[in-house]
Parts: sequence; C-alpha cells; structure tokens
Amino acid sequence: MGTNWFSAPAPVTRRVRGYFAPVNRSAQSPVLFDAAEQGGFTLDSPPAPWVSLGWIQEFTRKTTSKASSVLTGIPAATLEQVRETLEAQVSLQFLSWTKLTMALATGSQHMNLLAPASGATAAADGAQAIAAVTPQSGSTATSIVLSSEDAARFTPGSIISVDADYSGQTGFVGVPVSGAYVRQALTDVDYIRRVTFNVALVSGVSSAGLALAEPLPGGAPAPGAKVQAVTGFVDREGGSFYQEWSALFVMEGSQGERMFFHYPRLQTLCGAEEVAVPLDNKNKGGQARVLLKGQYLALPVTDPLDGERVLCYRSFLPSPHALV
Amino acid sequence: MQNAKDSFYMALRTRLVATNPERTILLRGTVRPGILVEEAEAPFSQLPNDVFVLRWLGLGADMDLGSTMTAEECEIVYQTCGTQSFGGLDRGRLLSEMDEELVGMLAPFYTPKVNYTTTPPSAMLTQVFWDEPGFGAVVVQRDRLSRSAKVMVYSYQEQGE
Repeated sequence: MGTNWFSAPAPVTRRVRGYFAPVNRSAQSPVLFDAAEQGGFTLDSPPAPWVSLGWIQEFTRKTTSKASSVLTGIPAATLEQVRETLEAQVSLQFLSWTKLTMALATGSQHMNLLAPASGATAAADGAQAIAAVTPQSGSTATSIVLSSEDAARFTPGSIISVDADYSGQTGFVGVPVSGAYVRQALTDVDYIRRVTFNVALVSGVSSAGLALAEPLPGGAPAPGAKVQAVTGFVDREGGSFYQEWSALFVMEGSQGERMFFHYPRLQTLCGAEEVAVPLDNKNKGGQARVLLKGQYLALPVTDPLDGERVLCYRSFLPSPHALV
Repeated sequence: MQNAKDSFYMALRTRLVATNPERTILLRGTVRPGILVEEAEAPFSQLPNDVFVLRWLGLGADMDLGSTMTAEECEIVYQTCGTQSFGGLDRGRLLSEMDEELVGMLAPFYTPKVNYTTTPPSAMLTQVFWDEPGFGAVVVQRDRLSRSAKVMVYSYQEQGE
C-alpha cells in the first residue's frame, strides 16, 4: 500500500492561540507539553491542565542568549563557541480581558475585588468583604451546593471566588495557581480569596446553591474552601511578586500542520501595560480596542532527556502527506 | 486551479445547506441549494434574487515555492427584493440574513481539496484556504438591495494538476 505526497511550502497561519498551565511554585515544577502525545487536541478544548487564553496577536519571541568565541592561533580564529548566558523573551497582546489574561499581563499580584460589607471603609484593593459562605458536600467544579440562606446572597451574573480562609501562613498561597507570595503574616482572613485564580461566573441561583457558567480552574471546592462574591479585579504597579506560568502557543497552518512554542516557565518581565488599537483605521481618534500587553522572561528547566538546561521547546507537526 | 474553485464552492454549498436548508433555487428543473457559480451556468440577463452567486475574478501564482501557490479572487454577489407578503419592506432584514449566512459559510477558513471530476470525487492531499471577506457597500436599485463580498482563495498545485 503506497501513498502520495507533496512538497509543503512554509506554513501559512492566521492567528496564534495561547494556553496557560499553573507552575507549582513551591516545588518549582512546571507543566510539560508533549506534542507527540497531545499535539492533535482541538484548539477549543486543550488537554488538562491547560487552559485557553484565547487568541493572541503580536506574538513575538526573541532569544537574548549570548555566546562567545574561544580563540586560538595568530591571527586568532574561532576554535569553538560557548554559550555564556541563556535568556529568551516573549511578548504578545491578549485579545480578551479575563481573570487569567489580566493576571498574566500584570507585573505583580492580581486581586479579586471582593463584594464589600455594608459601610466598610473604602480601600484601593477592596474594602472589608461580606463574610464568606461555606460550600456543602456534593459541590463540584460547576455547581456549588449552599444552604438556601447562603444561596440567596448571590445573583445570576455575579462572579465568585472560591478558596480557603487565610490563617496566618507564609509562602505561596492560592489554589490551583499561586496568586501571591506572603512574606509576613497578614490579618485579612479573606486574603487568599482576594488573590486566588479560582473564580467563575454564576449562571444560575436556586435554593440548593449556585450553577456556574464555567468550571472552577481548581475543580471541586477543596475541604475548607469558602465562597465570596467578586465585583471585579484590581492589580497594582509595584510589589515584589512575579507571576509564573507554563505557556503553550499554537499556530495552525493552512494545510493542517501545527507549530507549538512551549515555554515551561514564563515570568512577567514588565508592569501592566495596554495597547489601544483603533477599530477603524480611517478614524484613529474614534473607538479603540484596548488590548492587554504581556512581556515575559523565559526561565530554564532541566530536560531529563540529557540534562541540558533549556528555555523553550519548538515542536512541528507536519501536514499529512507533506515531504519532510 | 479548477479543483480549488470546485472545492471552495462545494464547501460553501455544504455549509449553506447546514445553516439554512430553506434557501434554494429552481435551476434547470432541479431544486438546488441557493448558491451557484456564475461561469458554470447559462448567462443571466438578471442575477436571481435570494441566492449567492460566485464570480471568479483575478488570479495570481507564486512559483518560487516547493509547490506553486495560486490565489484566486472570488466575488460573491447576492441580492434581494424582500418578500411579497411584506410588500418588500423586509428587504433590509433579508439582506442582513444573507450577510450572516455568508459569514457563517466562510468559517472555518479552509476546506480539503477534492477532485470533483472523478466518480466518486477523490480527496487530494492539500487544503484550500482563504481570508476574511471584504464586504462592499449595499447597492440600491429601485426595490432591490444587493451586495458583494470578495474573498481571496489560496491553494497549492498538486502533481497532475
């Protein structure tokens, strides 16, 4: 049995899709992507634990690694090259504003604005919040079981934050993504729910609890987790925390081929920045789409295959029947 | 190049049937989906209403590649006078419906290349792909509203083409 083939020119692509996976900050353990095993996934439903960041634009990557020459002879000529430093940068613009894209496009902690308690003193990153409620057994990633009294506190269309009470611990906090690093004990019992990535939109409320429009990134609420309403998000210029994530960027070619750019560890390089793109090029002073701009520094991982330290994996799955 | 044109037309026709099976045309005694290729029919004195008419225009080729790439410009023309039951007052709404159907038909922006001159049609090795449509302004001619959209359709020439 034979097959035909064709000579495939350089890939032609339209857009770039971005995906996020959490890095276990305490263990410095990233999520690895295997293009051979997982590369055929449907772009709208990536394999767990990858989460779609939507389409992105202005995706550029550049290496800033430096090499130097080992010279020998008179006159000197290069005998060998050695890699002095290992560094790469990635920049992009997100085409959507979500908790995840905002958090990844800011330089430091990204916080949930918890719904304030009545009469609470105003604060730049959220006043004292309405007390959290406790999910009951039977809760899942897409439904939160509550007492009828607690459920009545929420309305369809509201956002919730689900995570544990802060109890004085230090280090990385937040499940499944470390939303902050606590250097010294704090007093705010809601702090983890302020920084957690475990948020979702409420699509329905009944006397039995809340139905969610999207699964909680952390799955079913863990024991000890509580629920609070969120009114929006806030981040700050400054601070000492760096977001870190495992990143996957996918370009799909016109012939079905795929290019993957997998950065196991990306850290934010700059503070929050936006780009305004006019909707109508003939009217640059008119309506403009505001895009989140992200700039990242790639950090190394040690490849267990041969012990080399690497920053990025570029994989290519050719189109069927293309000569290679 | 003909295989790419045929594949593009058949992709749009299949997608139209899925989107709006009610849009049909009686042509040469047969009820067909409401989309046709102008150059493959007898000349029209007046384009039919409420159907999509594909008209092939420009052509370009890049022969500096491993496989020659061709770019063919397709103009998709459609028009409506509205319905008799509403005295034509719904012609704007019907044109909007056709706008939406065309946007839906064009996504995703690729389709497998197929040779429709064989029986049964035979799948080829590459895919035909295209860009977002460029919509023209509405043209008003008495009670008739018409619009055209242009799409650049790309394909690779395969062995034997």
